[in-house]
Amino acid sequence: MIRILQKPVSAAPLAIFRIAFGAMLFLSTVRFWSKGWIEELYIKPKYFFPFYGLEFIKPLGEYTYLLFAVCAISALFVAFGFLYKMASVSLFLSFTYIELIDKSTYLNHYYFVSVVCFMLIFLPAHVFFSVDAYRSKKIMADKIPAWCALSLQILVGILYFYAGIAKLNSDWLLEALPLKIWLPARNDMPVIGFLFHYKWIPFVFSWFGCLYDLTIPFLLAYKKTRLFAFAAVVIFHGLTAVLFPIGLFPYIMIVTALIFFSGDFHLKIVKAISGVFRWNSTFINSGKTFHFSESSNAALLAFFSVLLLIQMILPFRYLLYPGELFWTEEGYRFSWRVMLMEKAGYTQFQVQDDSGKSLIINNNLFLTTLQEKMMSTQPDMILQYAHILRDYYANHGFSNPKIYVDSYVALNGRLGKPLVSPDVNLAEQTETFQHKIWITPLNDEIKGF
Amino acid sequence: MDWCVTASVHLLLFKKMTSFTFRKSCLIVLLTAALWACSSSEDKTTDPTDVQETNRKAMLTNLADNIIIPSYANFKTKLDAMISKSDAFIAKPESAQLTEFRQAWADAYTEWQKVEIFEFGPGETYVIRNYFNIYPANATGITADIANASPNLEVPASYDRQGFPALDYLINGVGTDDASIIKFYSGTDGAKRLAHIKRLTSRMSSLLSKVTTDWNGSARETFVTKTGLDISSSTSLMVNAIVLHYERYIRSGKFGIPSGAMLNGVPAPEKVEGFYKKDLSLTLAKTAQQAYVDFFNGKSVKTGTEGLALKTYLNGLGAKDSATGKTLTEIINSQFDSSKKKLDALKPNLYEEVKTNNQAMKDTYTEMQKSVRMLKVDMTSAMSITITYTDNDGD
Repeated sequence: MIRILQKPVSAAPLAIFRIAFGAMLFLSTVRFWSKGWIEELYIKPKYFFPFYGLEFIKPLGEYTYLLFAVCAISALFVAFGFLYKMASVSLFLSFTYIELIDKSTYLNHYYFVSVVCFMLIFLPAHVFFSVDAYRSKKIMADKIPAWCALSLQILVGILYFYAGIAKLNSDWLLEALPLKIWLPARNDMPVIGFLFHYKWIPFVFSWFGCLYDLTIPFLLAYKKTRLFAFAAVVIFHGLTAVLFPIGLFPYIMIVTALIFFSGDFHLKIVKAISGVFRWNSTFINSGKTFHFSESSNAALLAFFSVLLLIQMILPFRYLLYPGELFWTEEGYRFSWRVMLMEKAGYTQFQVQDDSGKSLIINNNLFLTTLQEKMMSTQPDMILQYAHILRDYYANHGFSNPKIYVDSYVALNGRLGKPLVSPDVNLAEQTETFQHKIWITPLNDEIKGF
Repeated sequence: MDWCVTASVHLLLFKKMTSFTFRKSCLIVLLTAALWACSSSEDKTTDPTDVQETNRKAMLTNLADNIIIPSYANFKTKLDAMISKSDAFIAKPESAQLTEFRQAWADAYTEWQKVEIFEFGPGETYVIRNYFNIYPANATGITADIANASPNLEVPASYDRQGFPALDYLINGVGTDDASIIKFYSGTDGAKRLAHIKRLTSRMSSLLSKVTTDWNGSARETFVTKTGLDISSSTSLMVNAIVLHYERYIRSGKFGIPSGAMLNGVPAPEKVEGFYKKDLSLTLAKTAQQAYVDFFNGKSVKTGTEGLALKTYLNGLGAKDSATGKTLTEIINSQFDSSKKKLDALKPNLYEEVKTNNQAMKDTYTEMQKSVRMLKVDMTSAMSITITYTDNDGD
């Protein structure tokens, strides 16, 4: 086993992955910037929703632009394999910092990117076909241990497989929810739009989607089905790209899937690029093998195993909480659950104090539209917002303010109902990893994972 | 037919994969053919109206042609009638003319309630509601405008100095009885005041004609062709506008604010709609509520029969309460009925109701609040529409 993991294999797959992934992240960052989202999401809001335990991560105001610049440049440096050691660390730190500023912007895919960036810090993705290797013959190599690319394959495999497991539930499979709600919204699309008038189409999409997620890692890993699988990847993500507003992630997933291809395949790409630029063939045929020192190799193997194991265990932490996961969202994040819920909510907060003073809050004075939308359906954010209000009104003429919320949330086509008990004073509740007893139960069971 | 196109696109994609075997291509063709077969067999079994129901273009066309455009036409008739009565009053400011002007004003104001909901498309372009019906009227501002040779009526500060509320003040509020009101319009000052009435009615007339001209021109085409559900699509803009309308202009404006249900429990009877006329306020509210229900259900202004609208669309989507099996539109309509019952229990003068029977006003607000939630959460969620407007509750 260890011997298989250590076996020197072509460094080309990891190098191409580095280039493609770095380039996609660079593009994402530029796109984010050009759409004015930095201002919109990280500068304009007056209040933010940090993650529990990570409250020290603060918004940076105008310096957020600097943070994004660092992120974009690091991504570009990673792509080129230039000052890779430093660039990969700063890419991970800047990207992750951005994602942790505000829960409202949380996306599973961002978490995936952070984990990949973290792994890249330790992987020798720069020893081949990079500026660093070009500048220093010492680090140049064309073979690396097999476990390097394998660890990324496993991560991608986890992402898909767990996304598939998460779809094994009654809403997704038996009700075709939320696709039943989302697909008719696209029934005016050219060519395929008319399909979404049919009630059975969301079922086809749901079942195929689930089957796709569960099987694609294996089909990509197995040589004979790989090409077919990759075509499926292109079609699947291409379809999600045209159907749903999910930015560049479909494309990121498409290039990520290339990591499953063989060294020969990637070498062909490398040679094609080298050919265009007429680079010296020794650049891609150094004949050297990259070795970690024996101790760091063992440490890294153990470390990566733990890291990947965490990714497999974390999604099941929801089992420790009572209540319906989709409703309470306790243990929902960082679990590769994507596109599973159509959830909308409406919250009206009231602040009171002992003197009988009372006020209905206009949420827009405190939150942006996106923040309000996200907060309205997620209990932990409702609590955070209640504390923002408590602290604000404590300084504005309310002694010891009490905060109550009148909430109304609809999940996957169910009729709306209160998410939070209306007579609980949220000012007194504290955030913990414990179950929040003030969440009103859904009183409906979504069977399965 | 459309599937063939997709199938060939698929094949093109696969052709690029050099090692893609013939056998696999066959598989894809077979799969595609199977799907196509399913879809065509479904064609025969699916009720065609089923597809029609979720066709947004058909819905938007019906709403534009059978509700929005004819409603504006009806309103224009009433507004024109009011303006001619107003002109008669200006020419001869006497008791009989005042009475006729008032009646025409009340009729036009009531008819306005049926178009105020359309604050999307041209209505939104010209923000017509802001110039027609922001109340309470600003009496001090109106007085200042009368003295001013050319007041600027196109800025936000002028919203509460014009439209129906300003006319309400000028024909019902400037004196305690008819004699003193008529006296208000005599002499040199009276002439200035009459000229200001003309200024206000002309402004209403020109604004409305901009809106109706647009609707009768290119705006209708834009409205029925932007069939998506993204934030700039007709359906999304319309749903956002009408949810906002119910929340802020029916629930809050007519009941929540005057009753004090929304502001620390302090009643503000002077904030009712049609404050100077007083006994028209309930009629206005009822008309607005009924127009809203009719728009939701797609009741044609021309024929009185229901056509494609939000109701049929939601039914077409199959939106229902999984617990009871009731459709969402039944639930929403029964909530509308509950609000109507509360309205029916009120006396015509809402100013008096706030002062003497405020609990009934608050109850109406509470009942309407239940509709707001359903419209804002259940309906938009079922339709996959994002609420993008910001509401001003608590201001």
